[in-house]
Amino acid sequence: MIDTVELLFFLEVLIGGLLAGVMYSLVALGFVLIYKASRVFNFAQGAMVFFAVLSFVGFMELGLPFWAAFLVTVALMILVGMTTERLVLRQLVNQSDQTLLMATIGLAFVFEGMGQLIWGVEVRRLDLGIPDVPLEWVLDSTGMFISALDISAGVVAAVMVTVLAILFSKTKIGLGLRAVADGHAAAMSIGIPLKSIWMIVWATAGVVALVAGMMWGARNGVQFALVWLALKAWPVLIIGGFTSVPGVIVAGLMVGAIEKVAEVYIGPAFGGGIEGWAPYMMAVVFLMFRPEGLFGERMIRRV
Amino acid sequence: MTALAEAPARAAAAAPARPVLAVKNIEAIYDNIILALRGVSLDVPEGTVVALLGGNGAGKSTTLKSISTMIAAERGKVTKGSIEFRGERIDQLTPNDLVNRGMVQVMEGRMCFGHLTVEENLIAGAYTRSISRAEMRQDLERVYAYFPRLKVRRTSQAGYTSGGEQQMVAIGRAMMAKPNTLLLDEPSMGLAPQIVAEIFEIVRDLNQREGVSILLAEQNASVALKYADYGYIMESGRIMMHGPAAALSENKDVKEFYLGISGEGRASFRDQKSYRRRKRWI
Repeated sequence: MIDTVELLFFLEVLIGGLLAGVMYSLVALGFVLIYKASRVFNFAQGAMVFFAVLSFVGFMELGLPFWAAFLVTVALMILVGMTTERLVLRQLVNQSDQTLLMATIGLAFVFEGMGQLIWGVEVRRLDLGIPDVPLEWVLDSTGMFISALDISAGVVAAVMVTVLAILFSKTKIGLGLRAVADGHAAAMSIGIPLKSIWMIVWATAGVVALVAGMMWGARNGVQFALVWLALKAWPVLIIGGFTSVPGVIVAGLMVGAIEKVAEVYIGPAFGGGIEGWAPYMMAVVFLMFRPEGLFGERMIRRV
Repeated sequence: MTALAEAPARAAAAAPARPVLAVKNIEAIYDNIILALRGVSLDVPEGTVVALLGGNGAGKSTTLKSISTMIAAERGKVTKGSIEFRGERIDQLTPNDLVNRGMVQVMEGRMCFGHLTVEENLIAGAYTRSISRAEMRQDLERVYAYFPRLKVRRTSQAGYTSGGEQQMVAIGRAMMAKPNTLLLDEPSMGLAPQIVAEIFEIVRDLNQREGVSILLAEQNASVALKYADYGYIMESGRIMMHGPAAALSENKDVKEFYLGISGEGRASFRDQKSYRRRKRWI
């Protein structure tokens, strides 16, 4: 018979992993949005997450109350997203994928630099008013360590995904987005204004970056290292498929769960620290056997 | 340029003074160096079907893209001449503006939204119009009446439908924008002859029943001339000849070069002297 304590410990690790995974998904979501609509791999998404949450904390420090700071930052990120599209990506329409990728790498540095130039370089604490300590009732009833922040991250991610899923599948703009994702020329030919679609996508990605940044900032502090979060989003993207919103959610959960479980159960065999590279190994395996990812769009090919 | 008739033939019934589409002497360049069109002029009178014929690389698609302004998306531009749609110059307009004004291009190679269903493709066609659900339903039914086959396939992903069905989706999608002018690029490309005939019948219907003016680019000259009122023949970025479709299909050179028929029946290259084979208009 399996020891109850063992099982509970496993569950705790698993749930902790899933909840961390949700936060990876949030970062990856921004990538997917932009990639779907414009086939631009936005290297700057991580920097946008950093810039967004840094601005949010900055506004709070200026004395704005929580919700005001949040709304101002949302407006700022919408503006930043739209300006980026307008000033950088629109000028590069029809350029090769490499050119676009290089442009977004440049953008990443601009966001990092601008953020720190405006708001300073020191590490900030972000207090969302949600404590990141184990919830007592969960601890009492099951003996597991799960914090309110973990649970809120899960709820926020679920809400974001639902909203985006509805946006994509039910609204006119969503149909436009999917049409553009399938073919720029064809979408243009029937009068879908590509440029406004791209602006919407960049603005949305900016807002998603803010939400992701707030979750991560609350846990790890608002600091430059947030930029490297984007790195963890890559295996999530590869596993989930670059074009699938549900894909990155599931993949985020998988990556989070597997890295934590692997760390605890297999880690000691390697001397620990496999959390850092286990997701990339998974990504490599996926690239070998299922390059379109779990839910990525398969190339439709007719003969 | 050889004109077979004094003035461009007008539609059999109505003969309005001003053409819907007037292209005057345009030159189009890709990547700043590749000259694709030289001095192309053509008119599409209201309510007519005009065919733009010619082989590969003759400049048919470029002409259509210049008119729809889609050329800008391919790093091309119109450098000389003018294009007027209903009396308005189009150089400052975007494809979106033109769709709003009633001109839609059906691009070469169909270009359906592969991952969208057939019906979603059609709905996307009405993107520029703000219409109620009921109107949308009504317009969808109108398209399904023209293409009953699409109704059967309406929930399949467009990428998995046959070539003919994709062409129907592309045309149906354009119809959803309620255009008064359609630019069709190679509707017959890669399709079986029966399907080509079926599609051209629908094009004719659209023209006759709904009064849509149509400019179509085609390599398949015999089919196109059968359904068109007027034709232009292009070669190497120029218009070499134009005239009423009937006159063109009777023309000896057209027969020989584009319809593959000589005076004694089907032409064979073996029967001809080599200098005849090389004959071109330039």
